[in-house]
Amino acid sequence: MATSIRTLVLRVVGDSTRNIHHVLGSRVKHSFCNAGITVCRGYSDGKSTHFGFETVPEEDKAERVYKVFESVAKKYDVMNDAMSLGIHRLWKDTLLHIMNPQPGLRLLDTAGGTGDISFRFLEYTHSMYDRQQRQRARSNQTPSWQDLAGHYKTDEAAPSQSRAVVYDINKEMLKVGKQKAEKAGIGTGLSWVMGDAEELPFDDDQFDIYTIAFGIRNVTHIEQALQEAFRVLKPGGRFLCLEFSKVSNPLLERLYDTYSFQMIPVLGEVIAGDWKSYQYLVESIRKFPDQETFKEMIEGAGFFCVQYFNLTGGIVAIHSGFKL
Amino acid sequence: MAALIRGLRAGRALRGLGRVAVQAKLSPQCNDVRRGFYRATLLRLADDPKSHTSVPPPFYHEVHTVGESSSTSAQGESSAGQEDTQSNTSYQDQSGEHGEDYETEEQLQAQILTSALEFVPQHGWTVEAIAAGAETLGLSAASTGMFNNGAGDLVLHFVAQCNAHLAETLGEQHNQVQLGQADPKKTAEFLKDAVETRLRMLIPYIDTWPQAMSILLLPHNIPDSLKHLSTMVDDIWYYAGDRSTDVNWYTKRAALTGIYNTTELVMVQDSSTDFEETWAFLDNRMKDVVNMANTAKQVQATGEAVVQGLMGAAITLKNLTGMNQRR
Repeated sequence: MATSIRTLVLRVVGDSTRNIHHVLGSRVKHSFCNAGITVCRGYSDGKSTHFGFETVPEEDKAERVYKVFESVAKKYDVMNDAMSLGIHRLWKDTLLHIMNPQPGLRLLDTAGGTGDISFRFLEYTHSMYDRQQRQRARSNQTPSWQDLAGHYKTDEAAPSQSRAVVYDINKEMLKVGKQKAEKAGIGTGLSWVMGDAEELPFDDDQFDIYTIAFGIRNVTHIEQALQEAFRVLKPGGRFLCLEFSKVSNPLLERLYDTYSFQMIPVLGEVIAGDWKSYQYLVESIRKFPDQETFKEMIEGAGFFCVQYFNLTGGIVAIHSGFKL
Repeated sequence: MAALIRGLRAGRALRGLGRVAVQAKLSPQCNDVRRGFYRATLLRLADDPKSHTSVPPPFYHEVHTVGESSSTSAQGESSAGQEDTQSNTSYQDQSGEHGEDYETEEQLQAQILTSALEFVPQHGWTVEAIAAGAETLGLSAASTGMFNNGAGDLVLHFVAQCNAHLAETLGEQHNQVQLGQADPKKTAEFLKDAVETRLRMLIPYIDTWPQAMSILLLPHNIPDSLKHLSTMVDDIWYYAGDRSTDVNWYTKRAALTGIYNTTELVMVQDSSTDFEETWAFLDNRMKDVVNMANTAKQVQATGEAVVQGLMGAAITLKNLTGMNQRR
């Protein structure tokens, strides 16, 4: 049964490749102008990388990933809920709990797309700030006039200080994210920047926390993204990566594989009208290195105290490292 | 043997260097210089255990100046160049060689926690205090994520620090007695002074100490807090001269643990000047224990005497009734 699935998959992938190559030729210029992707990588003497289970030249991977997310952008959140049965919200909440951000920090939400992590970050820090204020008020029941005067002066600065930058290579995803922010009424402290994770347009030592949730497996040169993360973090800053990873339990692994390859592309076709993108999604998960290998890559970029937390039996793992 | 290990490290470093050169695409020189400098200074921190108290402030100061001024980059480059072979090893092969890294990471964590203690009166024993401490060292508040146990780590660090300080003080006193510069104290007095010294270390944090005690009582912290308490009590008894090898070892430590805990509880609600009532309470408890010990001895002696008396009476009775006759 596994072999028949495999042949089916290969046939589908073969079909999709032919289509994408045809489309790619005519739309390359379009994507250059709009996305501003640096394609100096074109001179990388024919090195190839994986795009799901296919092998593609390195220069092509970024554009193909762009295509995938451009087409799924509008239904991205709906599909996330459908595919993970809503559990992706718990994963993102756990990421925030592990992060435990203090009010007043700067977050770079790389591959932030529709802004899930940034919204949660702002909510968390605002509620933390409110709690601290309440505690301060409670312990300060009979303040003197000098205390009150001092309080008025310092009060405005703090809540606006927690800032999140949503950074994504894909304009469509950022558009969807901006609409979500407007609807939710989250405005202060949020910026939207477009660009490549391998070349961050920020100075060194800018951010307290760098997160990349379900994005790093789409990056062509993962080590470069890690080094850029190291560069823009302040000393003491934290790197957090939420990503699909290897399941440890063999029984769960079989169930997970069956679900991934049988159900998810079908859901993609039914809900978003796009089988190929979701095929790419599940294949790219299989191509990503496992927890220990990725931990070593993070250490190789210079991070300390690297550890990972497995969620849902290893389906998803959160890696954390510090720049010390 | 050490030379062999160093040779292996150099070999791995050279391979590591090759890898770094291939991967670094953006301004490779700048990145390596700065990273080399982080490593160089960290290694210096690791290699200099004697001067570890003096190194920390310059360490962070230097990191920032190199990051900002290009004029000192030349200096950074040369130090990076010299130490590059050595430094690349530990940070390319962190999975294998953890010796130097763990030392520096733990030292750094200890430094953060020590500087966080200043902010405890203001923020309490919480992650905010640790964040404030990290900021004084020039690190981002996000580094509090290193402490998985949060406030528990801070409290346990403080307790460990106090116990180490106490052991040092007792050791010095012991040395002075050995050298004949001071008179040896009686056991009860020695114990009283040791407990008082230890409890006085809590005075700066006495307002927030109940919060710390409750953190120490959390189930996941109990093993660590019990360990700290038992080693402290053991240290005090050791310097008091206890070398017992029977059940007294346990009874003595149990008694002192009881005294210490009750005195601590009295101290957190004591509002007299310089905690006089606490020391009076401690004094009374020590006297109780001493009395108890004396009473126990007396009871034992009395018991033996009574038993002998009864034996004597029984033998006399046997003699009188003629049952003891020898034929």
